[in-house]
Amino acid sequence: MSLRDEPRLDTLERWMQEIVMHPDGAVAGVRAAPARRILPVAVGKLEKVVLPSKSLSSIERLDIYAHMYYARLLEILGDEYPTTRQILGNEAFWKASRRFLERNPSRQRTLNHLSDRFPAFLSRHLPPGGRSGLATDVARIERAMEDVHDAPQAEPLTAAEFTAIGPAQWQYVKLRLVPALRLLDLRFPANEYMNALRAGKKPRLPRPRATFAIVYRRDFRLFRRDQEPGQFRLLAALARGRTLEEAVRKSVSRRGGDADTLAATLGTWFREWAAAGIFCAIDR
Amino acid sequence: MAAVHYPWGNMKHVALPNRWNLPDLGLGVGLRTTHFRHITEHWPAMDWFEILSENFIDTGGRQVYFLDQIAERYPIVMHGVSLSVGSTDPVDFGFLDKLAALAKRVNAVWLGDHICWTGVAGINGHDLYPVPYTEEGLRHMISRVKTIQDYLERPLVLENPSTYLTFASSSMPEEEFIARLAVEADCALLLDVNNVYVTCRNHDLDPVAYLDAIPYEHVVQVHLAGHTDHGTHCIDTHDGRVIDEVWQLYKRVHDRTGGRATLLEWDANVPKFQVLQQEVGKAARFRKGSHQALRSAAA
Repeated sequence: MSLRDEPRLDTLERWMQEIVMHPDGAVAGVRAAPARRILPVAVGKLEKVVLPSKSLSSIERLDIYAHMYYARLLEILGDEYPTTRQILGNEAFWKASRRFLERNPSRQRTLNHLSDRFPAFLSRHLPPGGRSGLATDVARIERAMEDVHDAPQAEPLTAAEFTAIGPAQWQYVKLRLVPALRLLDLRFPANEYMNALRAGKKPRLPRPRATFAIVYRRDFRLFRRDQEPGQFRLLAALARGRTLEEAVRKSVSRRGGDADTLAATLGTWFREWAAAGIFCAIDR
Repeated sequence: MAAVHYPWGNMKHVALPNRWNLPDLGLGVGLRTTHFRHITEHWPAMDWFEILSENFIDTGGRQVYFLDQIAERYPIVMHGVSLSVGSTDPVDFGFLDKLAALAKRVNAVWLGDHICWTGVAGINGHDLYPVPYTEEGLRHMISRVKTIQDYLERPLVLENPSTYLTFASSSMPEEEFIARLAVEADCALLLDVNNVYVTCRNHDLDPVAYLDAIPYEHVVQVHLAGHTDHGTHCIDTHDGRVIDEVWQLYKRVHDRTGGRATLLEWDANVPKFQVLQQEVGKAARFRKGSHQALRSAAA
């Protein structure tokens, strides 16, 4: 495309999009190869494509859109990952966020899933240990909170429905988990660290240690809870569609201990989960 | 005047001077999450609410729970930001299905979006980008709007956006583009008088001449909002009260139409609900014989 012809609509749209989404602003966008391949126009000749106003040059007018693109989407990432930002610090967080948006432009009509891949992006692009490793775990928790917030509503099982499942039924009963629940296996005690930060404390950076957490919604409020390893394995097995008997056998076989202790432990776990309302159906 | 009966039961007689006989819903505000509790606890005086369609799509959480309750008590209008009617990408029929499902769920009085594009090549910039006001652009958008309207089986209500640049290839003024789009695509218009002000400031245009070019039989809704004046240009920020110049433009529109559903947008630094009631209630002084509750709230 040359400027001897009026640019067609699709040319203008592709060209403008390349410019406003350039991470270094409109001037860099106009000069960059992707925009020049679509419409080769120099910054000094820009008025042939975009008119200046009485107060603003052509590039300043384009830059309004370029500025708003990143400002709007970065604000969303900042709102969705406040603790990740706190751990990484503003400079590192905004730098990572900008790079994420540059490489992962939105392809959805809504903004609900803009940052789906942000935790994985941090995991790939930040060093694995120390502060950035912890931040990546916290980002996974904060992403889970967004997902749980938007998940469909499902009525939890009542206590009566729950207690009606007798031991004889365990071999074929499957418990269905509510959609508003996420299971997270973490490399750091990230949930505990988040709790401390949100309580206004200044916790020391923890050493890596495998932890397990669930994020769920009850009565439109979000909750985060740490889980014991066996507890987490049991939930994960149920989430994969195992029967109650299979799930228990696979998750608690490593615990050891006598049958009474095991029964008491399972009773405690299921009472906790029932109170949390994380089961919504019994499949037989 | 014609008698119209709506399930919400709060409108006895409404003017129907637009070409679809869509009702003058009165005075409304944009429904924002910060006001959910206040609204569902107090059921305040408000003629109707407008929702941002995308905020209630692909979600089944708290927003939808509150929206369902509110939609049982108030008329709901859907207003979107991602339809991208000016884009050269293919029409996203899957998204239209989601809009249609939401419209059915809330019994939307109408639904619409903006005269703009939001992205190409499958990407969404989540902003309202201007189209070049060319014959090619007009033909393209007319075709898209007709396709979408046929699919949804209802008129689209399209809003004039605030724009911050003009393409050199534009061969007609924005208001002519909009007027021809409305007439030739047979779509409805949402006339945002704050956007008229902002656009005219940014392009050194006369807002009165802009308004005089609008085909009012196509206008079914009016938006009011605040903006930020940077001196060199204005940005449509929806973060404050409506300025006097915009109220004067609103009066002019009201004098031309005799009454259109009027909505206040306030999306940043969102105040208490009572402040929104007072601000939109100011519109009642330009309207006759209705909306006593909001007029009282504004006093």
